[in-house]
Amino acid sequence: MPDSLPPSPVRRRLRQGRDRLATVLVTAGGIGVIAALLAIGVFLAVEVVPLFWSGGDTQTVSPRALWSPLQAEDDLAGYRWDPTATLGTEEPARVSLLPLAWGTLEAAAWALLIAVPLALGAAAHSALFMSPRLRSRLKPTLELMEALPGVVIGFVAGLVLAPWLERHLADGLAMLVLLVPGLLLAGALWSRLPPRLQQALPLGWAGLWLLPWLLLVLAVALWLSPWLEAWAFGGDLRQWLEVRLGLDLAVRNAIIVGMAMGFAVMPSVYSLAEDALSGVPRSLSEGAQALGASRWQTLWRVVLPAASPGVFAAVMIGAGRAVGETMIVLMASGNAALMTWNPLDGLRSLAATIAIELPEAGPDGLHYRLLLLAALLLFLFTFLVNTLAELVRTRLTRRYRRLGGVA
Amino acid sequence: MRLAKRSRARLPRGEGAGAWLAAGSVALSLLALLALLSLLAIRGLGHFWPASIALVALDDGRQLAGEQVREVPLPDGTGRERLYRIGNRDLDGTRWAWVPVSAIAAVSHPPELMVLERHRWGEAIGRLVAVESETGERLEGQAARAVLENRMTELASLRQARDTLRDEVVLPRVQALQEGGDVERELATANARLRELQAAMQAGHLTLETASGERWQVPLDQILRVRYPNAMSPLDKLVVWGEGVWRFLSEGPRAANTAGGVWPAIFGTVLMVMLMSILVTPFGVLAAIYLNEVAHQGRLTRLVRIAVRNLAGVPSIVYGVFGLGVFVYGIGGSLDEWFFDAALPSPTFGTGGLLWASLTLALLTLPVVIVATEEGLARIPDQQREGALALGATRLEMLTRVVLPMATPAMLTGVILAVARAAGEVAPLMLVGVAKLAPQVPVDADFPFLHLERKFMHLGYHIFDAAFHGGDVQAAMPLVYATALLLVLVILVLNLTAIFLRHHLSTRHGALSRR
Repeated sequence: MPDSLPPSPVRRRLRQGRDRLATVLVTAGGIGVIAALLAIGVFLAVEVVPLFWSGGDTQTVSPRALWSPLQAEDDLAGYRWDPTATLGTEEPARVSLLPLAWGTLEAAAWALLIAVPLALGAAAHSALFMSPRLRSRLKPTLELMEALPGVVIGFVAGLVLAPWLERHLADGLAMLVLLVPGLLLAGALWSRLPPRLQQALPLGWAGLWLLPWLLLVLAVALWLSPWLEAWAFGGDLRQWLEVRLGLDLAVRNAIIVGMAMGFAVMPSVYSLAEDALSGVPRSLSEGAQALGASRWQTLWRVVLPAASPGVFAAVMIGAGRAVGETMIVLMASGNAALMTWNPLDGLRSLAATIAIELPEAGPDGLHYRLLLLAALLLFLFTFLVNTLAELVRTRLTRRYRRLGGVA
Repeated sequence: MRLAKRSRARLPRGEGAGAWLAAGSVALSLLALLALLSLLAIRGLGHFWPASIALVALDDGRQLAGEQVREVPLPDGTGRERLYRIGNRDLDGTRWAWVPVSAIAAVSHPPELMVLERHRWGEAIGRLVAVESETGERLEGQAARAVLENRMTELASLRQARDTLRDEVVLPRVQALQEGGDVERELATANARLRELQAAMQAGHLTLETASGERWQVPLDQILRVRYPNAMSPLDKLVVWGEGVWRFLSEGPRAANTAGGVWPAIFGTVLMVMLMSILVTPFGVLAAIYLNEVAHQGRLTRLVRIAVRNLAGVPSIVYGVFGLGVFVYGIGGSLDEWFFDAALPSPTFGTGGLLWASLTLALLTLPVVIVATEEGLARIPDQQREGALALGATRLEMLTRVVLPMATPAMLTGVILAVARAAGEVAPLMLVGVAKLAPQVPVDADFPFLHLERKFMHLGYHIFDAAFHGGDVQAAMPLVYATALLLVLVILVLNLTAIFLRHHLSTRHGALSRR
C-alpha cells in the first residue's frame, strides 16, 4: 500500500506541480471563456464604428439619417426603413431606425401589459393563498411554460389566433370584457355558499377549480357577443372601429403580438416575482395576520412593499425578454415598418429585421453594419435592464437576510 | 380585553375582490397553456387519422368527394359553410372546396371511395374503375382491387431495391470515379440494373372516376399508397394512423415541405444539439470552477458574475449576429482562404453550417451552464473542502475527488436546461446555417463521416418555413402542427428531466448542510 508510506519528496513535488499546472489551466480557461462571452459586446461595437466614421473611401451614414425624419415632398416623408431599395442608389437613404425601435417597444409594451398583471396576480396567489401541495406542482408547470419555443407560440399566434380574431373580433372583445366581472362574480357567489361547500372548494385550490368556471364565463361571452356587437357597435365591430376611430385592422397586428409574447414572457416574470414574494421573511406576514389583517391586506400592505424591488426586477427581466424575442414577432406581427398608435396595425421589430435581412446583406456593406447597429442597440438595452434587475435583486436578498434576523 | 374584542369584530369575513382576481390569473394562465397544448396535440395527431371521405351531392346536381375539414359561419352571417379537402389538384387546380351548407342535398359515405397518396400533387380521390397492366390487360371490379394491391407491394419492393442500389452501389462508384478510380464497368452494370428497375416500375396505370364523373388515368408508379377509408374498421384506421405517425418520424419531406416526414429535421436538430452540448459542457464547467473556486472573490469577480448572468438575458438573435460576423465571415472566411482555396469563390466554411450553428448555440447556452454549475458549487458546504485539504489533498485533488462529484447533478441540470433552450432556438440558426431543405444529412459513409460544413435541417425552422414560405399553407398546416407537437414534446421531456435532477439535488444537499 503506497498510500500508507510517507510520501517521497519527488512524488510530493509532482503532486504540487500538477496542482499548480491545473490551477493555471483552469484560470486561463475560465478567463478565456468569460472573455469570449464578453467579446460579443466588443465585437458589435467595433463593427459598428465604420458606419459613422471611416478614414478612407467607404461610405458612411450620418447619425442624423438614422434618427431624424426624411424631408421629402411625397408620401415617403417621415421615418422610413427601406435599406435594400435605397442604399447604393441615387435616392436619399431611407434607413431610419426609429420605426423599428418603435415597433420593438410597442410590441414589448403590449406584451408587458398582458403579462405583468397575469404574472403578478398568479405570483401573489401562489405565494400567499395557494395550498403548498398545489404550489409545489404548479410552479414547475408554469416554469415549463417558459421553455415553450418561440417558434411554436409564434406559429399558433400568427396562423391560428390571428385569423380567428380577424373573423371573431367581437367575440374576443366580449371575452376580455366579461373576464373580470366573471371572476368577481365567482368570489361573490363563493362567499354565499354554505360552509360545507366552501370547504370543498377552498381558496387555496381556486387556481384549479376556477378553470371550469372560466370556461363557462368564456362560453357566456361567446353567446353574448352578437348581442353586444349589435347593441354597442351597430352590428359590425370592424366597421365601427374604422368609421368611428379610424382604426383599420391588419390580420397580424400589435395586439396579437402582445398576446403571444405576453404568454411567452409571463412565466419568467411569474417565477421571479413569486421567488421575491415568498422570500419575504414569514415573521412579517405572520405578524400582520396576527394583528388582524386579512391575507390580501397582508399582501398589499406588508409583503408587496417589502418585496417590491424583487417584483420590479422581475418586470425588468420580462421587458428584456420581450424586447429581444424574435420568432414570435417575426411570425405574428406582419413585419410592416410602421409608426402608428393603432394597436390593430402591424409592426416590425429590430430583432425580426435582423433575422430577415441579415442573411441577404453581404459582409461589410452599409446594410450589414446598420443591422449590426440594431443588434448593438438590443444588446445594450437588455444588458442594462438585466444589470439593473440583478443589482436590485442582490440588494433585496441582503435586505431579507437583515429582516429575517438569525432565523 | 377591549382591543381583542374590537379586532375580532373587525376580522374580515372574506379576502375581498383582489384575491379572486389573483386566483383567476392562475386559472387563466393554466387555461391558456392547456389550450395551446391540446390544440397542438389534437391537430397534430389527428392529421394521421384516416378520416372518412364524404360524397356530397349539391342542389344543382354536382357531386364532390372529400374529407370535411371544418365548418364556419358565412361572413355575412346567413348560414354556415364547410371546407372539403377534395384532392385531385392536378385535375381541378385546387385541392379545397368551400360549400355552403344550405346548398348540400345529401351526404353519403360509400365504401368504394378510394384515396391515393401520390409522389406529387397530393392525394387523388375517386372510385377505382380499372387497372391496366403494361401488356394492355384490363381488369375491372374486385379483380382490379386485388391486382392493384399486389402491384403496390411489388412497387414498394422495387423502390426499396432501387434506393439500396443507388445509395450503396452507384453513388460510391460515382464518387470513386471522380477521384480517378477505375470502376466504369461496375458503374455501367449498376446503371443498367437501375434502368431495368425503373422500367419495371413505370409499367401500368389505373383509371379513376372522380366524384364529378370524370375518368382519369393515373400511372401506377406515381402512387405511394392506396386506402379505402370508408370501408375501414376503427382497428384498421388505428393501424393506418400508427403507420402514418411512423412515416412522419422516419421519412424525408416531399412537395416543398408540405407533405412527407421530418426525419432529416429531427436528425439535424439532435446532431446540432449533441455537438453543442459537447462544446458547452467542458467550457461552462471550467468557467464556473474558475469563478467559484479559483478566482479571488473580490469586486471584479462579482461584477463578472453579474455580467455572465446577464448574458443569459441577451436576445438570442444577438448571438446569431455574433456567430455570423465572427464564426462564419471571420473564422470561416479565413479557413476558406487557407485550406479550401480551390473551391473559392464558392465558400466551404465561409457560409453557415453545422459547426458554426453548434458553436453559436454553445455560446448562447454557456451562461446557463455556468450559472447552474456555480449554484451547485456554492451549495457545497465549505467543511467538505476544508476537510479534504486538512487530510493533505492538493487543491486539484480536492476539486476532482470531492467537489466535482458533489456538483455533478447541478452540472447535468445546467446542461439539460441548455439543451432544452438550444433545441427551441430558431432565430440565431437562421443566420448561421439552417437550411430549408438539405438534401444530404451531415453524416454519411464518406470520409470524414461527419460533415461540419454542411447545412442542416431543424425542427423549429421547419415549422417556420412550412408555415410561412410554403405555397399552400392550408395543406401544410396539419404537418406544421405535428412538427410543433414533436418539438414541444422533446423540450418538455428535457425540461422534466432537469426538474427531476434539480429536485434530487436539493434533497441531497438539504441533508448535507444540516448540522
